[in-house]
Amino acid sequence: MQIPYNEKLRPDTGLYNAKLGIWLFLASEVMLFGGLFSAYILLRVGTPFFMSNQSALNVPLATLNTAVLITSSVTMVMAWVSLKSNDLKKYKMYMMITLLCSFIFLIVKYFEYSAKFNHHLYPSTDNFLGIYFTMTGLHGLHIIGGMAVMLYLIGPGIKMWDTNKERFTNRTEVIGLYWHFVDLVWIFLFPSLYLL
Amino acid sequence: MSHDNIEKHVKIYKNVFIALLVFTVITVGASYIHFNAVWLGILIGLLIATVKGYLVAANFMHLNDEKKAIYWLLILTAGFFVLLFFIPILFKGNIVKTQDYFWDDVKVEQVENHGDSH
Repeated sequence: MQIPYNEKLRPDTGLYNAKLGIWLFLASEVMLFGGLFSAYILLRVGTPFFMSNQSALNVPLATLNTAVLITSSVTMVMAWVSLKSNDLKKYKMYMMITLLCSFIFLIVKYFEYSAKFNHHLYPSTDNFLGIYFTMTGLHGLHIIGGMAVMLYLIGPGIKMWDTNKERFTNRTEVIGLYWHFVDLVWIFLFPSLYLL
Repeated sequence: MSHDNIEKHVKIYKNVFIALLVFTVITVGASYIHFNAVWLGILIGLLIATVKGYLVAANFMHLNDEKKAIYWLLILTAGFFVLLFFIPILFKGNIVKTQDYFWDDVKVEQVENHGDSH
């Protein structure tokens, strides 16, 4: 039996099912990160000297990572546009750049984490570093999850382009929505943890 | 999507990309300015982040032209999100009974028990 409304729009929602599905998932993600932001605010207003270890964070590296993630968001949306224009070659190029950006983001994060550990700064050191490692670590896991799906879509999953172009384009739009959300979370994490 | 439409979208994406990079530079720059009040710096930082977030959501996630079902879903999410943020504030103002009350009760009990033993 075929899953309904993969390409055709459902009359009551006006959407294909995967799109409604990813938005429901993103709603649950808002609550997940929202809970952590809420915890951050509570700790910040309730803990004396909460921000004392903020100076240990590397602002230039985090700024670089912000630019890298914004770039990846643009290339992701351009990959989707390429499919809309029936240009698979460009799609592959943009997806590869997106993957490269996400890889650079993780490498930069690795250097950031290593520097903290070398200075004996761990999640257990204080409340600030505890929430810093929790939030950036969870965000990093989301990057890895997104990379796995992107690898599938330029690897074995790309075969679908030959059999069902519309469904493949929809799949790319769905991973794109997820990826932009991950970018959106970073846009708030960056000033909250590093700057303010 | 027609060819003209695609070109229009690509132009918007490029402009948003530049705007996001500019706002990132402004965010970092603003963090070096010493504001008289701490809250003012935080407010400005969060305002810039909100503008950046809006640009991503409206353009890359196509929320400026989406179906009603998604808007309703997001309104519901926003409601629960605000509620989630208010829960700690309710605890902070002791509007909801917190552990402090519990510990106060324990202390009272301990004092009472201590008094009884003498």
